[in-house]
Amino acid sequence: MGMTETHDRHAAEARFRAVFSHLGAVAAYARRRGSRDADAVAAEVMTIAWRRLADVPHDDPRPWLYATARNLVLADLRRASFSASEMTEDFAPAPEVVELDPILGAALLSLSRLDREALLLVAWEDLTPTQAARSLGINPAAFRVRLLRARRRLRTKLEDASTGRRCDPNAHLDMETT
Amino acid sequence: MSTESIMVRLRRANPVPQAPAGEDNELFARITAEAADSRLTERTRPRVERRRRVVVAAFALLVAALLASTAFAISQWIGGDVVPPPVTKQEYLEAQKELSLPPGVKWPKYNMGEPNSVTNRGAGGGQAVLVAQNAWECYWVDAIKRGDAAAGQQAHNELNKLLANNIREAPAWASENWAPTPLPDHPVVYFAHDGGLAWVKNNYRQAAGGDPTGISQSCKANAPG
Repeated sequence: MGMTETHDRHAAEARFRAVFSHLGAVAAYARRRGSRDADAVAAEVMTIAWRRLADVPHDDPRPWLYATARNLVLADLRRASFSASEMTEDFAPAPEVVELDPILGAALLSLSRLDREALLLVAWEDLTPTQAARSLGINPAAFRVRLLRARRRLRTKLEDASTGRRCDPNAHLDMETT
Repeated sequence: MSTESIMVRLRRANPVPQAPAGEDNELFARITAEAADSRLTERTRPRVERRRRVVVAAFALLVAALLASTAFAISQWIGGDVVPPPVTKQEYLEAQKELSLPPGVKWPKYNMGEPNSVTNRGAGGGQAVLVAQNAWECYWVDAIKRGDAAAGQQAHNELNKLLANNIREAPAWASENWAPTPLPDHPVVYFAHDGGLAWVKNNYRQAAGGDPTGISQSCKANAPG
């Protein structure tokens, strides 16, 4: 390995170190979206990020990392839905996962997947609307409109729930549901 | 319920309020042990490659430029002097002013040859001398065949003038296409020191004696093609 290649590799590792610092945030994202093996998802996201480091934005890698994690979680959930009968206690939620308010959970699940993800990227992942828009691959202006509508829809659902019009109590918060 | 309170409620409901620590050196080492994104690790290499290619291209251009004038350059190195076809053609045309042709004969058009070819300086004049020599030899052959003594004499005189002024023999040591330095200021053709010029002179002697065999062969052999 020549000096240039060694220098390039060190530079790549230094750049990846900054990306890798979001490992915990990515694992948390996967858990919040219902992944049953969030750590594995986060590790997989980081592996992909290393292999495609040139695609990972320098300034803020989180939207890219969350988008990658979203795809992996969705793929996991699809696989899990095919083998639901084989579920064991290994799929139980991790200890740090707080039980979600069932009314809120049901209201969230009644939203479209995109509306729900727009709300959660801002509320749970603490992204700005611009960052969240980047993660969803949509225009920031369009995201703001979507976020506003999603808030209104969620409020309506919660108000309906509080007045006795219940959302589906059996719904689970995963990203397959629309 | 305001939209703001909706977001507050959502934040409070975060099922994983605290992201776990992101440090995992073992995982980091395991991931980075794999090949990195080639677009990053090879990003500087192409720059070096490009720079190298530019240098090679520049060198190739230099070589091409040298090759384009190879004959000129080489001839300069070995002491010669070569010129491109237009110069040779001009020499040929200029020589026509100093040389004469038999009645009714026209100067053949000069064949420029390959555009990137080169010829010894003065070769255009030498070509004109050979054309004139051949034309007068053929004219002499016809004169002998026709029994036209005057025409034969005219041809003999013209050929003697050429031998005296425009035809020379190169030194015995000279290579092919030898030319003196400096070149004469009139058209001259240099025969190699191989007996050729002696054969020509002998032919003229025979023709003067009424035998056109030699000049007839030369007429046919050296006719402008």
